[in-house]
Amino acid sequence: MTSANPRIDETAIAALQNALAAEHAAIWCYALAVAFLSGADAARAREDENAHRELRNQVEETLTQLGAPAVSAQPAYATPRPVTDPASAAQLAAVAETDALAAWRSVLERSRDRALRQAVLDTLSAGTLRCARWRAAIGQAPTIPVFPGQP
Amino acid sequence: MSTAWSRRRVLAGLLLLPPAVAGCALGRAAGPDEPDPLIALADAARADAALAAAAVAADQGLASALQPLVEARTQHAAALDAEIARLNPSRPTPAPAARPSGRPGRSEVQQAVLASGRAAGNVALAMPPERVGLVASVAACCSTYAEVLV
Repeated sequence: MTSANPRIDETAIAALQNALAAEHAAIWCYALAVAFLSGADAARAREDENAHRELRNQVEETLTQLGAPAVSAQPAYATPRPVTDPASAAQLAAVAETDALAAWRSVLERSRDRALRQAVLDTLSAGTLRCARWRAAIGQAPTIPVFPGQP
Repeated sequence: MSTAWSRRRVLAGLLLLPPAVAGCALGRAAGPDEPDPLIALADAARADAALAAAAVAADQGLASALQPLVEARTQHAAALDAEIARLNPSRPTPAPAARPSGRPGRSEVQQAVLASGRAAGNVALAMPPERVGLVASVAACCSTYAEVLV
């Protein structure tokens, strides 16, 4: 496939698809997590889910413009641990954010387009803040990851 | 909000960029005589760690907010130094940061780490693939500290 933008080649498109898959998973994780959360945590989970929905829409739109069919969400995802209570729900949110950060960092490593890189840098910063809030909720130290997105 | 909107425009508008703009993706590569751009980022990491440590020394009440930042910026400096040394093994060990003057407070640290995050973000835009991840992670960590310290 030939990309319409010469700076965004097949490698970058594959990385964007991987980031899109992580966004699909994050949306699914938040939908599950919010059922076990209440009060401020539930409100934040909804807010974060919306942030991921917006991001998902942007990536799908970008892939469409690049002429690549966007990957679909899976019907369900395996959670690393069973989600049964507020603590395990917050933990799932932290995992979803950590996975998304890794996928986005990998887009940077596979793209040289400056505009795309700037957008992904903003995405990494916003995701690091979301991740830090859930890490704080589950008492994971340091609250702010030192190298966000590093595998 | 404004960040989300500008990001939307950038992500959605990638192909709307004129080819001349979209094409010049990378900045000028550093010439052989130009210093490694990571040196300034490593120095900033050391300076931020020293500044935050001085703020904690001046006010122990800041320890819970700033001690993790001291440790994060120390780890950033070490990782950046290792990457600098990978390309230039003969580089001498960098000098430790100068002791900050006065009694820095939370807002000085916030401003320093905000500037460091922006500087790392700017450098990341033009980094080769094997370096961009590290620099971008440093930028995201700094900008998040800047956000929570406001």
